[in-house]
Amino acid sequence: MKKLLSNDYLILILRVVLGCVFIVASIEKAANPASFTVSIDNYKLLPHAVAAVIATVLPWIELLCGLALVFGVRTGGGALLSSMMLGVFTIAVVSALLRGLDISCGCFTQDPNVGKVGWLKVGENLLLILASIFLLFSTGVRFSIERHLSSRSSAT
Amino acid sequence: MSYTIRQALREAAFIVATGSALGLVYTGVTGQGIFGVHGSVQAGNTPSEEYAPEFVELEEAVGFFKSGDALFLDARHEFDYDLGHIAGALNLPLKEFEEKKSLLSSLPKDKLIVTYCDGQECNSSLELGLKLSAAGFSNVKVFFGGWRDWESQNNPAERTVQ
Repeated sequence: MKKLLSNDYLILILRVVLGCVFIVASIEKAANPASFTVSIDNYKLLPHAVAAVIATVLPWIELLCGLALVFGVRTGGGALLSSMMLGVFTIAVVSALLRGLDISCGCFTQDPNVGKVGWLKVGENLLLILASIFLLFSTGVRFSIERHLSSRSSAT
Repeated sequence: MSYTIRQALREAAFIVATGSALGLVYTGVTGQGIFGVHGSVQAGNTPSEEYAPEFVELEEAVGFFKSGDALFLDARHEFDYDLGHIAGALNLPLKEFEEKKSLLSSLPKDKLIVTYCDGQECNSSLELGLKLSAAGFSNVKVFFGGWRDWESQNNPAERTVQ
């Protein structure tokens, strides 16, 4: 396991995949917080005012989290945050499914005809959570920008 | 707590703080999100509380329809309207509000108006409702379940294209 946790290529792949998922997911929501608010409202879990605040800030947190992972800057923080966010999203999706809500996920696009919530989404999220936890405890830094910056500053 | 987790928590807090700041700046500059019309209605920031249109469920919408007193306004794109709409509804796409609002000039300001769009996932019904309220209409309802709810119960509908 220790060997796996320090495998630079595996870490790079997981970082880029997970980071891109967050970046892609964030763009449409960041550009259109009003429809993201509606998506959150559809889950019927939070008061509207709270949903509006979440819709305002969450896409940007997702975007930064994705960028951090892709470029390997503050990877630990990005990985911890992504596992926490995905955990919360998964709970929301499961609760919607258990309550029989027929709603769109609001995960990647705000188009109501795409991406209905389903158990596939739950499985997808669990895989991404596993990847996040792996990255949190990973030790390889070969392809991260942070490492290159720190090695340059220590050289001077 | 191990050093890894503590370090990660610090970094995560930094990302959350920066992301929130960016989100607030972006929505503040563009007037969206909590600074936009959708967010502020419920937060009570509208000039007057009475301007917030009331939401109605399918049963109430059907009741209004049967009473014959209500004017239904379809906020969707003309294409969707043509494919099927609530019988007797007029099409007033949100984006064409300014050009087409003359359609409503002959209506009394206390006319019961019910706006709708596709369904739960769209908010143009609410935005149209807000525009109508702002234009002085005092009896505006938003049927948030929209066309999908209406159609699912086989309520009276019309289509323009066959």
